[in-house]
Amino acid sequence: MSDWRGWVPRAWSLALALLLLGPALGPGHLLTYDMVWVPDLAVRPDVWGVGSGLPRAVPSDAVVAVLDEVVPGALLQKPVLLGALVGGGLGAARLVPGDSLAARLVAVAVYQWNPFVTERLLLGHWPVLVGYAVLPWVLLAGRRWRETGRLPASLLVLAPLGCLSASAGLATAVALLAVAAGGRRTAPALALALAANLPWLVTGALHAVDARTDAAGAELFALGPDGVLPPPLAALVLGGVWNGEVVLPSRDGVLAWLGLVVLVVLAAAGARRWVRTSARRDVVALVLCWAVGLVLALLTWAAPDAVGWLAAHVPGAGLVRDGSRLLVLCAPLVAVLAGCGAAALLARAAGPTTGTTPRVVLAGVLAAAPVTLMPDAALGLSGRLEPTTYPASYAAARDAVDGAGPGDVLALPLSSYRQPWWNHDRKVLDPLPRHLPRDVVASDELVVSDVTVAGEDPRVREAAAALAAPTPGERADRLAALGIGLVALDRLAPGTAPAVAGEVLLDTEELLVVELPGAVDRPVRTSWVVAAVLAWTTWLAVVLGAPGLALARALRGRRRRPETAPGRGPETGPETST
Amino acid sequence: MGSILSTFGALAIGGIVASATIVGVVSSQTSPSGESPANVNQPVIQYGSES
Repeated sequence: MSDWRGWVPRAWSLALALLLLGPALGPGHLLTYDMVWVPDLAVRPDVWGVGSGLPRAVPSDAVVAVLDEVVPGALLQKPVLLGALVGGGLGAARLVPGDSLAARLVAVAVYQWNPFVTERLLLGHWPVLVGYAVLPWVLLAGRRWRETGRLPASLLVLAPLGCLSASAGLATAVALLAVAAGGRRTAPALALALAANLPWLVTGALHAVDARTDAAGAELFALGPDGVLPPPLAALVLGGVWNGEVVLPSRDGVLAWLGLVVLVVLAAAGARRWVRTSARRDVVALVLCWAVGLVLALLTWAAPDAVGWLAAHVPGAGLVRDGSRLLVLCAPLVAVLAGCGAAALLARAAGPTTGTTPRVVLAGVLAAAPVTLMPDAALGLSGRLEPTTYPASYAAARDAVDGAGPGDVLALPLSSYRQPWWNHDRKVLDPLPRHLPRDVVASDELVVSDVTVAGEDPRVREAAAALAAPTPGERADRLAALGIGLVALDRLAPGTAPAVAGEVLLDTEELLVVELPGAVDRPVRTSWVVAAVLAWTTWLAVVLGAPGLALARALRGRRRRPETAPGRGPETGPETST
Repeated sequence: MGSILSTFGALAIGGIVASATIVGVVSSQTSPSGESPANVNQPVIQYGSES
């Protein structure tokens, strides 16, 4: 492919990402539902997964906490979001066989502009989107491993990057094994998938006693309709998020049906071409990923009681309760088939009397179809992605807690979500805990459609019981006995917060910070620290193994080169298997 | 003749689709779905509501 043809998908991908994110890339922190970025996330025990709550943000929080020591959180967030979209789109384009430019442009558009991307973006699931972006590259690197017999160094970075959250890690592992396992590669592929997921696996296992989730969540978080599309059809177009609040208005009308028809027609038109031009193993890998994602997603819709039972009885099984999140595995095949379908349609349109213009127009219409059919995703999902600036109270609270006596912090009121005016009245997970330099005991209870899904952190329950004591002094004493040395109250959040006795360190319009007397630091169990250190060391070794492997191969190649005398030709011996 | 017709037809269809896309994007921006401010009397901010 000539140079300019190689650059067109990159430019198209960047243009789509900029159009979709729009104002989200402006100054400030983008806070939406579960996406909470702060100026400087502290490197504290719970980011490593050894806090009292389930390690839901492991390893993503640790990665951010380390990186934002160098780059402020607000600056770091932008390239992460932009990279997640562009990286995914370009990876999907590379998965398309053949050299049809139109096919690649369509694959880029389908991968970057679909309900999965918009809904997860609005829900703030950025580690899921990073995993989504990495997925095609894992498939490509896995294919290279299979073809050359040598483990690509890039896979040592891609695999951990695709495992920034538990669900993304599972998807990455499925993709890696689907494309690369077999023969002598099976054991190393399994080991790599395991090592890349080790931080959340190990720290999750440390919380195994509490890792059973409320069965009520299974029905609430199951695959749902996507606007007018019923759940099984929604899954085909990568929609069906459980939360109706994050579904764009365009999904409620005829455009959603039209989008489904266009995608199905493209996939049907492209299936034969794709199978004919791809390696059998690649076909099997992509179909396998699609089937696993689709079946698991449909299972949450068809059998929520069974999923609920599993989540309530098997530690960690709650991971699969969010049905549409599993559709991440379907996306590569959907984009590839759409791309191949575009190429097939263009080939059919190339009759003896057909000029170039109709084919160019058809290619343009197909490449822009996702935007045409979901126009309200443009410009930050029609303005719903709008960065904000934290009130000065948050920095003051951080300073106050930093200089206080021992103990963790209790965030009040005991509820998970906020909707402050300073965030344009948009919902966000309580951002205060991430601002503070110590571990924070905060509610992990979720309320969806007036149904409460119980949290898992036993310390929250203990704190709630302590707050039920009759007097402020008794509450303070009981909280201090739990290792809680400070209480931070968000005054803007609805809900009640019983008064506690102590010294007021900060009292502003937004926040109140009170230091409790008599608290002591709650030590982290040594066995937990040892287990977490081993897991993180293994994970880091994998990441650092990439440059190490690349360097070793470069040195080996340099050492061999002088032996190849001019005229003797290049080495033709087999490559070293890894 | 057929080639000229197909070219003009394609340009017309392409123009219509492009216009529809631009109109769709612009109109969705001019009527953004607003967020209602939090009600201080409600007991808790909900994570979401089922689709």
